[in-house]
Amino acid sequence: MITAKPVLLKRLFLISFFLLIVLMVVMFLGLSSGPTQISIRSVFQTIVGIRTSDSMMHSIIWQIRLPRVILSALVGAALSLGGLVFQALLRNPLAEPYILGISGGSAIGAIVGILMGFSRFPGVSLTAFSGSIATLLLILAMSSGQTILKKDALLLSGVMVNAFCAAVIMFLISMTQDSRLHNIIFWLMGDLSFGDMQQVGILAAILLPCFFLVFWLSNPMNLLLMGKEMAQTMGVHIKLVTVTLLVATSFMVSATVSYCGLVGFVGLVMPHLLRLVFGPDHRVLVPACILGGGTYMVFCDFLARILPKQGEIPAGVITAMIGAPLFIYLLKRSSK
Amino acid sequence: MFQRSKTITIKNMVTFRYITIVLMITVLPLILSVTASANKTLTDQLGRHVTVSDEPQRVVSLAPSITEIVFALDQGHRLKGVTTYSDFPPQAVKLPKVGSYVQLDLEKIVALKPDLCIAIKDGNPIAVARRLESLKIPVYAVNPGNLESVMQTVQEVGELLNVQEKADKLVQSMNLRIQKVKSLVAKTTYRPRVFFQIGVSPIVSVGTHTFSNELIVLAGGKNVAQGPIAYPRYSIEQVLALSPEVIIITSMARVAIFKQVKAEWNRWPNMPAVRNHQIFIEDSNLFDRPTPRLVDGLELMVKLIHPELFEGTK
Repeated sequence: MITAKPVLLKRLFLISFFLLIVLMVVMFLGLSSGPTQISIRSVFQTIVGIRTSDSMMHSIIWQIRLPRVILSALVGAALSLGGLVFQALLRNPLAEPYILGISGGSAIGAIVGILMGFSRFPGVSLTAFSGSIATLLLILAMSSGQTILKKDALLLSGVMVNAFCAAVIMFLISMTQDSRLHNIIFWLMGDLSFGDMQQVGILAAILLPCFFLVFWLSNPMNLLLMGKEMAQTMGVHIKLVTVTLLVATSFMVSATVSYCGLVGFVGLVMPHLLRLVFGPDHRVLVPACILGGGTYMVFCDFLARILPKQGEIPAGVITAMIGAPLFIYLLKRSSK
Repeated sequence: MFQRSKTITIKNMVTFRYITIVLMITVLPLILSVTASANKTLTDQLGRHVTVSDEPQRVVSLAPSITEIVFALDQGHRLKGVTTYSDFPPQAVKLPKVGSYVQLDLEKIVALKPDLCIAIKDGNPIAVARRLESLKIPVYAVNPGNLESVMQTVQEVGELLNVQEKADKLVQSMNLRIQKVKSLVAKTTYRPRVFFQIGVSPIVSVGTHTFSNELIVLAGGKNVAQGPIAYPRYSIEQVLALSPEVIIITSMARVAIFKQVKAEWNRWPNMPAVRNHQIFIEDSNLFDRPTPRLVDGLELMVKLIHPELFEGTK
């Protein structure tokens, strides 16, 4: 469905290449920071493979930091893309999985899964997915009718769904008394520290097909933004595209939530920034969001690790601290 | 010509003999030392087989209780890392920290190059243990649930560190002290109702399957919060209805808050514990950490619950 114009292809290639380089630089930054002091030079030497003598350093970089950095990149990419899709489908610049309550819904599902003793994959991921689909349906039902596209109605229903989800999460936490409680609380705040290569591989296997699917549907997304009649006359099967995109996005979001908890506002920051720089064409924005979102998340995780003297801040705290003020700014600007 | 070659063969034989002797002297101890420093395979308390070196020298303890046990066996010098709340004995405070026991910092553990990590099932995230093992760091997990299994744990840690004799001695003295308490308590049939408060708001007590409950029962008390829930919550009303004769409040650090709690209970003079001034504030680590110090907690508990048994000795 992507019309391959040479200009577009060239632009796509250039932007992707540029963002890929930025991502690589930030990932390297992420690899070279941690509680143990390893100089940037020796990190570089270890990565390139010149230095293999120190097995401790080797396993710290390859088996502890690398999975974490890749995990952050995947999570950031998925959440940014989720934001982009929701903003396009709902035609609302403030839509985002976390703000809409989709993340909260999958968190409920995931906690239920954890409490029932399921393993992270496929058990917890599936309960998280059903939670996110349930909230998605709830939001769509609530904001349906005449006012479906009105910003305030959608945001308000999102806020309410979020409040409800928060209450259910609180209820579940208050009912938990054993050591799982700590795990749930750390996980809820957005914890990226427990990824090993196997888990990262599974998450990548879940997310990458969704990335391609969304990219494949990026032109219909462009057309949808022009209006439903317009899209229909251009031959877009509106219902099918919308449903596919919504389900794929919810799937991505619930997968990330079941792995690293609630990381909020990521889907707000990057799509807006990239739209500002590269314009509104989704054929460019989708890959840009994947790479840029990954970069943003890796950077937030980097901050989460270096800011405190002892231990680390959950990454979700950092993203919310950056994202929430931006949200208020966007809301203020769009209401003018 | 012939003779020359003969002397050479003799010479050869001599050198050969030398070589064998030298080899015997150098290689044999080498072989022995290799077998001596060989690994041992033990089964931990979760039934997993763990292969560790015979004399682990770089041990990382993943819980405060394990730190205490290692120090109790005089092997503190082998600890290269401990968790944040490892506050006993005082030497443990200075050791490098690897995060709290529920939120371990994997990278810090690996950077200490441990040849053994001792983990506790109740608290340590299983994911960290698995990843340590995938990095070829042996993890021995313990899961003590009562005094008996604490002593078992002490013995297993002794075996791990190759100090079985010390462990046996420690366990013997623990057993002896427990027996003393038992025979002391046997002198009376009176079992006061004890409310053991570990949480302030909400009020939290201890159920049947806790160390504190075991200590209360051994010390001749009746835990009014007995039940299947490990850490049940109470309202003031419920506690009043139970009319405890002894209230033991365990504090972590902020004693001031607990003094306030005590003052709060004093508002209910009809409660036997208030009437008879039987409200105490004690160090929680003596009652809920699975360490040899539980016996100290037990001895303290008897004095609180049955002060009359000590009247003669004063």
